[in-house]
Amino acid sequence: MTREAVATAEHEAAATRSGWLLFATVALIAVLPLLPFINNYILSAVVRALVFIALGQAWNIVAGIGGLLSLGHGVFLGIGCYTMGILFNRYGVSPWLGVWAGVALAVAVAAAMGALTLRIRGVFFALATVAVSLALVQLSRHFVDLTGGADGLALRFTGTSFWAAQSRTPAPFLYAGLAVVCMYYWITKRLLASSFGLTMMAVRDDETAAAAAGVAVFRTKMLGLMLSAAMTAFASGLYVQFYMAIDPESAFGLSQAIQLQLPALLGGIGTALGPVVGGAIMIFCSELTNWAGTKAGIEGADLLVYGLILLIVVLRAPQGVVGLFARGSK
Amino acid sequence: MREWGTGQPMAGAENAMFLALQAILSGILVGSVYGILAIGLSLAFGVMRIINFAHGELVMYGMFAGVVASKTFGIEPLLILPLSFLLAGLVGVVQYQLVFRHFVGHATLQQLLAAIGCALVLQMIAQIVFGADARTAQSAFTGKYTVIGPFFFAQAQVVAFIIALTTTLAVAYLLSATAWGKAVRAVADDVEAAEIVGISASSINIGAFALSAGLAGLAGTVLVTYFPVSPSIGLAVMPIIIIATTIGGLGSIGGTFIGGILCGVIQQMTAMLWNSALQDVPLYALLLVFIALRPTGLFGGRSE
Repeated sequence: MTREAVATAEHEAAATRSGWLLFATVALIAVLPLLPFINNYILSAVVRALVFIALGQAWNIVAGIGGLLSLGHGVFLGIGCYTMGILFNRYGVSPWLGVWAGVALAVAVAAAMGALTLRIRGVFFALATVAVSLALVQLSRHFVDLTGGADGLALRFTGTSFWAAQSRTPAPFLYAGLAVVCMYYWITKRLLASSFGLTMMAVRDDETAAAAAGVAVFRTKMLGLMLSAAMTAFASGLYVQFYMAIDPESAFGLSQAIQLQLPALLGGIGTALGPVVGGAIMIFCSELTNWAGTKAGIEGADLLVYGLILLIVVLRAPQGVVGLFARGSK
Repeated sequence: MREWGTGQPMAGAENAMFLALQAILSGILVGSVYGILAIGLSLAFGVMRIINFAHGELVMYGMFAGVVASKTFGIEPLLILPLSFLLAGLVGVVQYQLVFRHFVGHATLQQLLAAIGCALVLQMIAQIVFGADARTAQSAFTGKYTVIGPFFFAQAQVVAFIIALTTTLAVAYLLSATAWGKAVRAVADDVEAAEIVGISASSINIGAFALSAGLAGLAGTVLVTYFPVSPSIGLAVMPIIIIATTIGGLGSIGGTFIGGILCGVIQQMTAMLWNSALQDVPLYALLLVFIALRPTGLFGGRSE
């Protein structure tokens, strides 16, 4: 065999190995609710991880592959959650339909934000996303009739019901979350291999060169942002049905925006596996620090840990955990 | 941020013109403090292209310094302004050495993320040391009002305005007329050319970053004479700081100060005409308009 052929064969073998590993992980999570020693507390933690993995996968599209630092993905999360909640509580619209209304609204807002800010390079996109998030914090606090104000909006509880997408036990959310995460993983994989994905990465790596090579830079950024917004709003369906409530800070606040970024950053930005690994580690850390913080009487210790993780990742391991392992195996 | 004790209609005042004037004057007082909150950020961007998202945390430490001076030692908070400046400047030097020196020259995704990491760490340290509750400082001017003609002013805000204006003029003088200021501007314009003529860019950068951080601390101590502090205030003041800087022009000191004053006036007018709970919403809209149409701001600052 030629060297290229050997390299290809090794690459394929590695791909098959990681494929089996992924399949085994998915199967393990799928049988978790059936195992005897797994209680609802553990299941809920797994669902939380899946929710943030899905949201992280959505952010990874625009920031990791597209190179646009959105500090305001809470905008799309919040729009999704509030749209579904308001439609359900006021008009009895099933979340199965409401989620699409949320996706449509989020894509429209993304298009408007993009039209205003994506023609300019540099930090301004990041600043604009902060501005929109914080404006929505104030607006959603103010319009109490619609949003429940600062206290937020609690979904009308119906008991376990498929139509209302509600459940007293976390197991159904585990399966829904697993499905969304698998779908998003597949979308990311496909995108990374597609010509559109390559275009996005070209724009991320060198905008001037991409433009010179004939790439429609603005259109590429815009489509990436809209795709990411749609995925965030769709995953927000999972978020609001699981938590059963949404409030201005957990929808549009900056600390929520940071939680949406950490999975991808921690795991490995711009990779398909990164947000999955990172999200799992993030929820594990936050459970651990909140438990330790409660014991030590420190409120919000997870934010301190998040800050330290951000600093360490950015300064020492910009390719994340996945990058560390990939480097180690070479 | 919500301002207390300003922009409220005076008893018996029915003249819309009078109300508008009162709102504008209050807005100028409030906005001048936004101006000094923001000039440090603008300076760091102008010289090093660093957007320090933890700038607000340094403001918060300046505010707590005022609280400690007033409540623990019973000293007038405004007397410790030089100390706040030095302490925050020191925190800035540590921040620069540990984090930002890796990102000089590029406001990249990684730099913004590192700054956010710094902000979270600094905020949580403050929460562990001081607790999460809001605290106030007692200055000789706190809670006192002066009536001049038909207008009334909070004395603490008038004093804050004078300090803000003096500080901004001093910084502008430092940058335009001293040898150090010329070196800073040289590094901002062209690092390589500056090094060729014998300026050490790294020491200029540390100095400029320390000045930027020190100004945040000083501004915080001024602010706490009329506004309560809690550990979460650092992130809460960042939007106003960013808006003032973008409207005025990232990197332009005078422009940023005027941007701050514009923010204050727009806030107070909104509070008067519409609703004080929504006083920041027009500012966010204005930021989007500036980003879309004039990202260099009113006074031709730098864009990426």
